[in-house]
Amino acid sequence: MTTQTRKVEVPQGWEAFAWKWMRYSGVLIFILAWIHVLIQDILVGVYKIDINYVAGRWHGGFWRVYDFLLLFFAFSHGMNGTRQVLADYIHGAGARRALNWILLIIWAVVVVIGTVAIFGFTPPAA
Amino acid sequence: MSFKTAMEGYAKYEGLGNWAFILHRLAGLGVILFLIIHVLDTAAVYFKPSLYAEAVSLYRSPVFGIGEIILVLCVIYHGLNGLRIIYFDMINPNLWTIEINRKSVIWTWIITLVLWLPAAVVMGSHIIEHLGS
Ligand code: HEM
Ligand code: HEM
Repeated sequence: MTTQTRKVEVPQGWEAFAWKWMRYSGVLIFILAWIHVLIQDILVGVYKIDINYVAGRWHGGFWRVYDFLLLFFAFSHGMNGTRQVLADYIHGAGARRALNWILLIIWAVVVVIGTVAIFGFTPPAA
Repeated sequence: MSFKTAMEGYAKYEGLGNWAFILHRLAGLGVILFLIIHVLDTAAVYFKPSLYAEAVSLYRSPVFGIGEIILVLCVIYHGLNGLRIIYFDMINPNLWTIEINRKSVIWTWIITLVLWLPAAVVMGSHIIEHLGS
């Protein structure tokens, strides 16, 4: 069978950037999210998680930076992915612009809340 | 409009690759939905600690436990299939043939199950251990 793929020229711009973003961020999230889920969900498990557990993890800088990177990359990837999915159903130019703005605002609000929590948190004195 | 047509949008074609795409989409949407809630409830650690305790106790119920096992399936499948897409798109686009796509989809599903089953057993046994406590 001779199926062949062909190269096409893709206009460069925001959407091309978003397309690449999904791929580059995917590689990074693959590492960050899998380790996070392996530790938290499978090895530790929610039965051992409480505020003291989080205080222990966010005591130093390492896991804070780790969680921030996970938050930033996974959330940006996921929100852009959501945008991609919704754009398959929403076609008007105005409606798409509204969609982009709504998702951008949700993205910004959640990233700010998450980031403030990660770096603002001070473990209760034990 | 069938469920399948609804998920495909307007690009309609048949085959395994299409199911891989639909499942990739569903898994991605499932994880982002979880992640929004997860970031906000974790942020309660800083903004309102009493709320965090309440949220975690909810996660300990068996229903959420089963939800987490499904979440882990989504993360494993979406991640592996995502890497497959990335490898094809960015490194070797010649692999985008019907035949190779088909084979690699089947392998992705096999590896997903092999990784997920032990995780599901561990998490399932945690749930059973804590039943009624
Ligand atoms: C584990 C590592 C991950 C990898 C390797 C990965 C890879 C990818 C890739 C390559 C795409 C583009 C698919 C396409 O254009 O057809 C994609 C789409 C998407 N991803 Fe991920 N992803 C990962 C994690 C996540 C996470 C954690 C979330 C949620 C927070 C997520 C949500 C989504 C969504 C909603 C889409 C759009 C699906 C669609 O257009 O059908 N992904 N992912
Ligand atoms: C159900 C399985 C999961 C459990 C039990 C869990 C547990 C936790 C815990 C205890 C924290 C607090 C900080 C820490 O200990 O480092 C946290 C934070 C975080 N997790 Fe998860 N996690 C799970 C799944 C996920 C998934 C699938 C993702 C991403 C795709 C994710 C992304 C994050 C992020 C971004 C933070 C920082 C939150 C913030 O900024 O407020 N988690 N997780």
